[in-house]
Amino acid sequence: MSGTGASMPFDLKKADHLPQHREDGATRDPNWLPEQRRGTTPQMIGRYPDYDVFDAMETWDDATRAVIETRMNVPRAMSFFSHDEQATARRFCDLVMAQDREPRIPVVELVDDKLRAGRLDGFHYDDLPDDRETWRRVLAGLEQTALSRLGTSFATCADGEALRIVTDFAEAKLSGGVWESMNVARAWSVCTRAILAAFYSHPWSWNEIGFGGPAYPRGYMRLGPISTLDPYEQPGATSEDPVRATGEAEA
Amino acid sequence: MRRYEDDDELDLVVVGAGAGGSVLAQRLARRGWRVAIIEAGPFWHPDEDWVSDEAGAHELYWTENRVIAGNDPVELGKNNSGRGVGGSMVHYAGYTPRFHPSDFRTHSIDGVGADWPIAYEDLKEHYELVERELPVAGQFWHWGDPHGYPFAPHPISEAASVLWRGALKCGITMRVGPVGIVNGAFGNRPHCIYRGWCLQGCKVNAKASPYVTHLPDALAHDVEIRADCMVSSVVIDQTSGRASGVTYLRKGERTERQQRARVVAVAGYSIETSRLLLNSVSPRFPHGIGNNDDQVGRYVMVQGAAQSAGRFPDELRMYKAPPPQVSSEDFYETDSRRGFARGFSIQTVSPQPIGWAEHVAAEGHWGRALREYMRDYNHWTTIGVLNELLPHPDNRVTLSHERDEYGLPVTTFTHSLGENDRHSIDYSKKILRTILEAAGAQDILTISRYAHLIGGARMGTSPGNSVVDQYQRVWAVPNLYVADGSVAPTQGSANPALTIMALSSRLARHLDSSAA
Repeated sequence: MSGTGASMPFDLKKADHLPQHREDGATRDPNWLPEQRRGTTPQMIGRYPDYDVFDAMETWDDATRAVIETRMNVPRAMSFFSHDEQATARRFCDLVMAQDREPRIPVVELVDDKLRAGRLDGFHYDDLPDDRETWRRVLAGLEQTALSRLGTSFATCADGEALRIVTDFAEAKLSGGVWESMNVARAWSVCTRAILAAFYSHPWSWNEIGFGGPAYPRGYMRLGPISTLDPYEQPGATSEDPVRATGEAEA
Repeated sequence: MRRYEDDDELDLVVVGAGAGGSVLAQRLARRGWRVAIIEAGPFWHPDEDWVSDEAGAHELYWTENRVIAGNDPVELGKNNSGRGVGGSMVHYAGYTPRFHPSDFRTHSIDGVGADWPIAYEDLKEHYELVERELPVAGQFWHWGDPHGYPFAPHPISEAASVLWRGALKCGITMRVGPVGIVNGAFGNRPHCIYRGWCLQGCKVNAKASPYVTHLPDALAHDVEIRADCMVSSVVIDQTSGRASGVTYLRKGERTERQQRARVVAVAGYSIETSRLLLNSVSPRFPHGIGNNDDQVGRYVMVQGAAQSAGRFPDELRMYKAPPPQVSSEDFYETDSRRGFARGFSIQTVSPQPIGWAEHVAAEGHWGRALREYMRDYNHWTTIGVLNELLPHPDNRVTLSHERDEYGLPVTTFTHSLGENDRHSIDYSKKILRTILEAAGAQDILTISRYAHLIGGARMGTSPGNSVVDQYQRVWAVPNLYVADGSVAPTQGSANPALTIMALSSRLARHLDSSAA
């Protein structure tokens, strides 16, 4: 599944790998990426194979380190979602973040923790209940749609079927039953807001995307010009072959 | 810190320790007034409470329940609402532009919006004062009323330089700043370290907020800051019609306390100020204080704040350096050729991973496509606009049937765009795309959003068209003032923090001279 720098099918100086530039954009398997060597990333996929944000952890302030450690140790036993809801929510979160294998960022556990603690975002739409109730209705709706379409549970139906249901949810095409009790497009935004915040608050995702992570009390010295790195940063993988790049290979 | 008793009749009680309330308290305490600020949120200890972490900054925002409605609802919380000592300036980006002289006369000049009962010249010296107090760093500003800044512009990142070069190719002028971020070291304010976490609370103390600018001086002049106390009503003496103080609830208590004061100033910002006035019901004011003409909570405005990101061949790492770097006011004033009144500003921004994920998701991406764009993060740089949106009476804050932890009714904020608003937003998005294309962007992603709040208790010329007079005094109550962004009848295309502080600086001078 893994490639090496020299065999990457995309030149990352260009944008051909990006979904808007590709026919197969939305569904292409990211198996063309280099093997992750250093830090953990979700599914061990990433563009920064030699980067680990934890290498700089000693430079983080205590308060920040404590918050991130708490997040890394989020309880695996959920308490907000019921047993049945947990199975639906796990499948849903896996599909929204394309987490199809281990290691996974514990997205559903982080969402459960947020909802249980009532850490809401300071508003709700007038055509939706508060985020906790919206989540419960959405999970009931996904289950209802799977049962009526397939006669099986959302948590156990075939991958393609589950993906189709989530696609219809993203496009606000689900209706009937519990879906009639909410603005479906806005319910999608409520759920994805929580899922994205959970995923991209986790340091494994920072390894995947090459984000520098916390920066206090240290800051950054090298703001530019192009691609000047601070000592804590690692460059991304490129498709360049160093031998060919010297020009000697041509001779 | 000085502590006052509830029974003490203070010279001034201020509701809210944000940009407006803090400057007012600091100014008057220096002139010998006995002042307490009552603040709903906590008194921060930045070393322990603030973190270099997007999700961990959740506590800085007003995350109590609120309802949003209308054709174009505005997301609140982290987007525009602060809580705690220092207010939303604790998590604002740091841009501190002045309003233009034209902002105070949009009705006269352009036939839209509203004229203020005061002019730019009434605020000018206070802009200059506050710019020295923050202090502001930036290039000479040739837009609006031309002026310089007390400190030199900051160095900028490659991510911002790319955008600047794109703008230059389009003939658009951009300049560095203006930001309330120290470019120097001042006592408790070390130099900026360019770590880029301005929106999560500046642990460095380099970014200006009342927490590090005006409140330390207020404390030194015996202002009490009573944190974790939610003001529930302004009390009116039914005989005299004057405000006699405020009632409030300490966190975790159910028994209402009352603080007496000779003058009351409400500084809770557009939503909480409107809510407090509406919740302050008495025989004289059955629909809320100052609301006998149904003006409280109306004309609340936000700014259109679309952001476009462009993809470039090299790594730009936009997370380095503060998000506010270079900006342009070339499109600030009305140009009839554009087909709409008033305009917009252009500013660089730089979302961190969660913000970037929301940006990508706004284009409809999720699953593998979203992960692909996210992995490309370091190749992107982002530029945004602030569109002036026009005041409308139906864009308003009202009381909801839902209640908060204290049992007080929360608000519904109803917001819909008008025709002029839509034209401005559409036009400005095209300009962003033009800049990114000129810069050589290989792909572009755009998110539509809103920023900032203003209005709700606007100043005007009569009780029929406003809540407060030109000195921010509630028309029907001789000793009740509003000291925050609620009083602004328009907000131009400028970030509001500096103007809110300047208004309070002016108000303080007025109160002190009229009391003498």
